[in-house]
Amino acid sequence: MVSTLRYAFGNVLCFFILLLIGVLAFSIRLFSVIKYESVIHEFDPYFNYRVTQFLTKNGIYDFWNWFDDRTWYPLGRVIGGTVYPGLTLTAGTLWWILNSLNIPLSVETVCVFTAPVFSAFAAWATYFLTKEVKGTGAGLAAAALLAMVPSYISRSVAGSYDNEAVAIFALIFTFYLYVKTLNTGSLFYATLNAIAYFYMVCSWGGYTFIINLIPMHALLCIVTGRYSSRLYIAYCPLVVLGTLLAALVPVVGFNAVLTSEHFASFLVFIIIHVVALAYYIKGILSPKMFKVAVTFVVSVGLVVCCAVVAVLVALVASSPTKGWSGRSLSLLDPTYASKYIPIIASVSEHQPPTWPSYFMDINVLAFLVPAGIVACFLPLSDASSFVILYIVTSVYFSGVMVRLMLVLAPAACIMSGIALSEAFGVFTRSIILQLPGVSESQQISAGDAGSEPSADVIENVLKTDKDDEPVKERPSRKNKRKEKENMERPSKPSIKSRTEKRLLVLPLETSIIALFLLVLLGAFYVIHCVWAAAEAYSAPSIVLTSHTQDGLHVFDDFREAYAWLSHNTDVDDKVASWWDYGYQTTAMANRTVIVDNNTWNNTHIATVGTAMSSPEKAAWEIFNSLDVKYVLVVFGGLVGYPSDDINKFLWMVRIGGGVFPHIKEPDYLRDGQYRIDSEATPTMLNCLMYKLSYYRFVETDGGKAFDRVRRTEIGKKYIKLTHFEEVFTTHHWMVRIYKLKPPRNRIRSKTKKSKSKSSSSANRDRSVKRKKNPWH
Amino acid sequence: MLFRYFITFTVVYNLPCNTLSLINLHNQQLNSLRLLYLMATMATTLTSSLSSTNSSTDPLSELQSLRSASDSAAIHLTDSLFRRILSHHPRSFSLLIFFDATQLHNKPELQLQSLKSEFKLVAKSFFENNQGNPDELSKVFFGVIEFGESQATFAKFGVNSLPHIRLVGPTDKDMKSEPVKMDAGDFSRLAESMAEFVESRANVVVGNIVRPPLVSKKQMGFIVLGVLIMLPFLIKRVIAGDTLLHDWKIWMSGAVFVYFFSVSGAMFNIIRKMPMVIPDRNDPNKLVFFYQGSGMQLGAEGFAVGFLYTIVGLFLALMTHVLVRVRNVNAQRLVMIVALFVSFLAVNRVVLLDNWKTGYGIHGYWPSSWN
Repeated sequence: MVSTLRYAFGNVLCFFILLLIGVLAFSIRLFSVIKYESVIHEFDPYFNYRVTQFLTKNGIYDFWNWFDDRTWYPLGRVIGGTVYPGLTLTAGTLWWILNSLNIPLSVETVCVFTAPVFSAFAAWATYFLTKEVKGTGAGLAAAALLAMVPSYISRSVAGSYDNEAVAIFALIFTFYLYVKTLNTGSLFYATLNAIAYFYMVCSWGGYTFIINLIPMHALLCIVTGRYSSRLYIAYCPLVVLGTLLAALVPVVGFNAVLTSEHFASFLVFIIIHVVALAYYIKGILSPKMFKVAVTFVVSVGLVVCCAVVAVLVALVASSPTKGWSGRSLSLLDPTYASKYIPIIASVSEHQPPTWPSYFMDINVLAFLVPAGIVACFLPLSDASSFVILYIVTSVYFSGVMVRLMLVLAPAACIMSGIALSEAFGVFTRSIILQLPGVSESQQISAGDAGSEPSADVIENVLKTDKDDEPVKERPSRKNKRKEKENMERPSKPSIKSRTEKRLLVLPLETSIIALFLLVLLGAFYVIHCVWAAAEAYSAPSIVLTSHTQDGLHVFDDFREAYAWLSHNTDVDDKVASWWDYGYQTTAMANRTVIVDNNTWNNTHIATVGTAMSSPEKAAWEIFNSLDVKYVLVVFGGLVGYPSDDINKFLWMVRIGGGVFPHIKEPDYLRDGQYRIDSEATPTMLNCLMYKLSYYRFVETDGGKAFDRVRRTEIGKKYIKLTHFEEVFTTHHWMVRIYKLKPPRNRIRSKTKKSKSKSSSSANRDRSVKRKKNPWH
Repeated sequence: MLFRYFITFTVVYNLPCNTLSLINLHNQQLNSLRLLYLMATMATTLTSSLSSTNSSTDPLSELQSLRSASDSAAIHLTDSLFRRILSHHPRSFSLLIFFDATQLHNKPELQLQSLKSEFKLVAKSFFENNQGNPDELSKVFFGVIEFGESQATFAKFGVNSLPHIRLVGPTDKDMKSEPVKMDAGDFSRLAESMAEFVESRANVVVGNIVRPPLVSKKQMGFIVLGVLIMLPFLIKRVIAGDTLLHDWKIWMSGAVFVYFFSVSGAMFNIIRKMPMVIPDRNDPNKLVFFYQGSGMQLGAEGFAVGFLYTIVGLFLALMTHVLVRVRNVNAQRLVMIVALFVSFLAVNRVVLLDNWKTGYGIHGYWPSSWN
């Protein structure tokens, strides 16, 4: 009676803790709205926002068939078939539900708050996953850690409306359902798992991580002799249903069966059937007969496997990249991208991280993870072997690309949650059993923990008693048939081992110190996470601020420039800029761009890169051949904004030079150094990007022309533009817009003879010029 | 630097891009080489006055025989051989020279050895791809010259920094100015870009670079044979369930090692080819182990912090899983105190190092009434 009351109390407490964790996960992400305003952040989210607007306005069918002519001019882009629709459909559905409930929120508001809402879901999914692995206490600790892990905050603050915002939830939830199926052997969960996987495929290209990790785990289980019918139920429906569902998503389509990223799952699918057959035969035959049969089955199985492998190898070998996409290849061979694909190597989040990145993004969890790994091996179960595999693969991938730190973060939280929970369990047990007043100590340890770790502490104090709760629950499930299997599970500590565990204690005083240090560590984590959320990750980067002695300065130049474009240019004018600003230009200025952040056409980007690194006349010809009317450059030299076009310029040269060999990187470097001062090479001083960035810059500080980013005086101060004219420069000079001069000015001055004939027919001139495309 | 979203990674201004000739950065290497260079010039003046015009037959046949005698098709040049080659003018061939210095092989940032092997690879590929075409073969020769034994040639070319590769054309006379220098950009992509340079400047076809495979065909055959023989035994053991794979301790140490390897930023070191330590710019005798600035790290630094990251967790696991089973209370107490102390120091160290390296002022948000 007392114990049931305790369990009921524990469950209610657990529910409220989860609720608070959800509130925490949501509210820690609101710094960006409080400190700035409720806007969509950065680059990719603007595209997603624009797509969502289109969806809510035109409906789902138009969305699938949407051909966007505002981007990649003159090619355009089929949005419906090239976008992962999960995020857009989620936010669109949210907006639709809210509207039908007569809650009139704008699409923008829904988009801004989608990410925080889904972070709360992700925290709850983490709780369920960890609970399946190591019990409620570890689950709550992991959920609390995930609610505020900086790596995840960086992608899910309010306003950061990007695929990862919902994808991380989908990822964890898919893993939870897989582990749940593995523990229960229920087809119901297996089906749910396939559906969750479908949602993940809809949301993010990172779904290939799931479809490779789960087969790896199944294979690992088979190799280490842990095959069971539960594994079969968990794995096979996922592959069959999951692949069918994945092929429904237009952007994936037949890739789900044709590309190498998915082959591992099919291979394991065959292996698991061979193994299942072997186990089945073992069950119906006597041991002696089985030995005879085994030789037969193994030989037949091997022949089949070899045949399939041969076919796969032939298929794979026939494609030039061996069937792998560039991004996956650069994970397997980390030096691949930097050698062969500058467009992938140039992206800032594809750089390999250094050790401070780990400290910044998962903070003290980096210390706790090894303890979690060890705890998962003691004892090893199907579920815990899965999370071990998850952490090992994700930590390796995060080492290759800093953006995959995001996939590592949930794994690190789960591992640290397990480690913390085990450690709290041992230390509090040591204290409780060796103190005369037991209830008193509970009060103390629960009281001193401050805001967030207190949840862990309370929970872990309780946990000493209900450590084995999930195991107790399980036989009571109605799956009687599965009970036999459950009995086999090695992870199940018996009552005897439980009583033994109670006697295993550490010395009292050192336990108190250890507990204090752990709480201190937790408190440090909270401080770090709040700081990271408030200072490091909440800037929308579309509005910049800086604190000086005079007070707060706000740089709103980007929106100023886009507003200028949308008010002062024709609706069909084409604007050229480096691809970073493509999404923003289409979303905020509603003007057609040449290249944008969806870097699908390397040649097109290289053309823009070539134009930017060419002298004025050549650049004019390239831009004119692309119908460009305005050129937009971002310049940080006046206010000291470091991620401007001059700093990105070498990548334009590299990417341009990769396609058009007359652009050579060494021409822009003086002795291997990139410089813009008087030592700069003539090619550098004459290229378009240099001229457009520093045009009239000398007028700003009385003849010195001191660049605050590069911390040097510029090399060429008085620049004359012949083919471009400045039309707009924002308040802080961060965005500068130039207009291409019409061609007849040039022709009149050069060829006087033809003046009489052609001056009146400027249009004809232009069409002649247009035909002379230098790129044919 | 906080990386977010798909935008172009900004290049750090005024640092050498790529891993090109880092020599510009590391002046101290230059200094040591300059000293040698001085001695070298003195030696040249002596020898040049003594040397008589040792005119001999056309060096072409000599070079050809030397080339076929060497394993890599790159000729080992010496002062005397080079002088004989120069005595002929105009020559019927170009000569691509790699300037090597054995005493600088231990400077990892120069990458002399890897560049040299790439250079030899180009030479060999050129030689093998043009076997049936002797005219093409006699157009270009690849040579390696070593500083220690051929200082006069170094002086003749005015080479004072390495890595350095020059192409001596058929008509070049003044070795200081005329021969084309291969830019750092031309050997940044190793053998392939060197081959492009040779093809464009010397008008020859190098052809595909033939890299020696990691395992030769014979070895491959042996491996396949071995696997085939082992396969039945392996399957038997897998079914019986007693392979190394069934020992969870191996899996555990493997998992912890992968973790250590990754959090130490070792992939960064591999991809960016970072050295373990770099010499101090201000004091050449000192070494820099920790690099300030979060965008970059040195090898030793990464491993040190990775070790600190890992050790804390391992101590925690030790306390919660192993130490509780120890019966002796004093032993428990001692080990715990040591473990806690070391863990505390490790965490403290990492926090301080991180603050120093990144310069972030991480602070809490306390109620304003507390101040």
